[in-house]
Amino acid sequence: MILIHCPYCDEKRAEIEFAYAGEAHISRPVDPSTYGDEEWERYLFIRANPKGRHHERWRHIHGCGRFFNAVRDTVTDKFETTYKAGEPRK
Amino acid sequence: MSDLLTRAEPVPTAPFAADGVTISLAPPMARYSLRARQGQALETLLGVKVPKKIGATEGGIACLGPDEWLMRAPAGTSIPMAAGLAIAVTDVSERSICLCVEGPRAAQLIMSGCPQDLELFPVGKATRTIFETVEIILIRNSNDQFHIEVWRSFSSWLWTALTTTASH
Repeated sequence: MILIHCPYCDEKRAEIEFAYAGEAHISRPVDPSTYGDEEWERYLFIRANPKGRHHERWRHIHGCGRFFNAVRDTVTDKFETTYKAGEPRK
Repeated sequence: MSDLLTRAEPVPTAPFAADGVTISLAPPMARYSLRARQGQALETLLGVKVPKKIGATEGGIACLGPDEWLMRAPAGTSIPMAAGLAIAVTDVSERSICLCVEGPRAAQLIMSGCPQDLELFPVGKATRTIFETVEIILIRNSNDQFHIEVWRSFSSWLWTALTTTASH
């Protein structure tokens, strides 16, 4: 059982309480009307997909309900750290 | 009209007893989901102290998240209108039922399907969590007594799961 530290509850809780929510720190286009097809494609679909250290969003859905960010190694599945949504990239 | 309606419960109203644990349906109660950015606003509305730490309970109010509280009170309790305050109050009295699990084996029974470590779960703590695949709100009232708040439609499954496990 993987334990994930929820930065809001400040507790380590079982992975089964959490939901994965994709890559973190993807900002919305400031002015969407200026975006062409390629830029939309990049924003909507193209992801870093690294082998190793990955910044991603998780949600403590069966807990406090909050989204937060995590740094996880995609090879070892180890969580390096978790931090609240809105905090700078770690 | 309403006096012609009879209340139907999704689980047996007779308590279930097994070796070291009893499971019973708690009587109907009023439940309110309270959402606010600041707990202070809720204190202004309700006139009572509201727990600020996630997981803490105080006078029937549990802090479930950074902006979310669950208030449980005797059936029929109403709370004042929150006009002018940045608060969302929702009556969720009939959304869930409460199963009361008590006895020396209560913690062991709940841990059979719930990832919480109840040896480290203090009395007075309340949290949303999961039992197998069913979301629950677990409240520890005393060392040997827990309340499990579960959505009505999931409750007959949970009752079967708990009673089956308890009789083994």
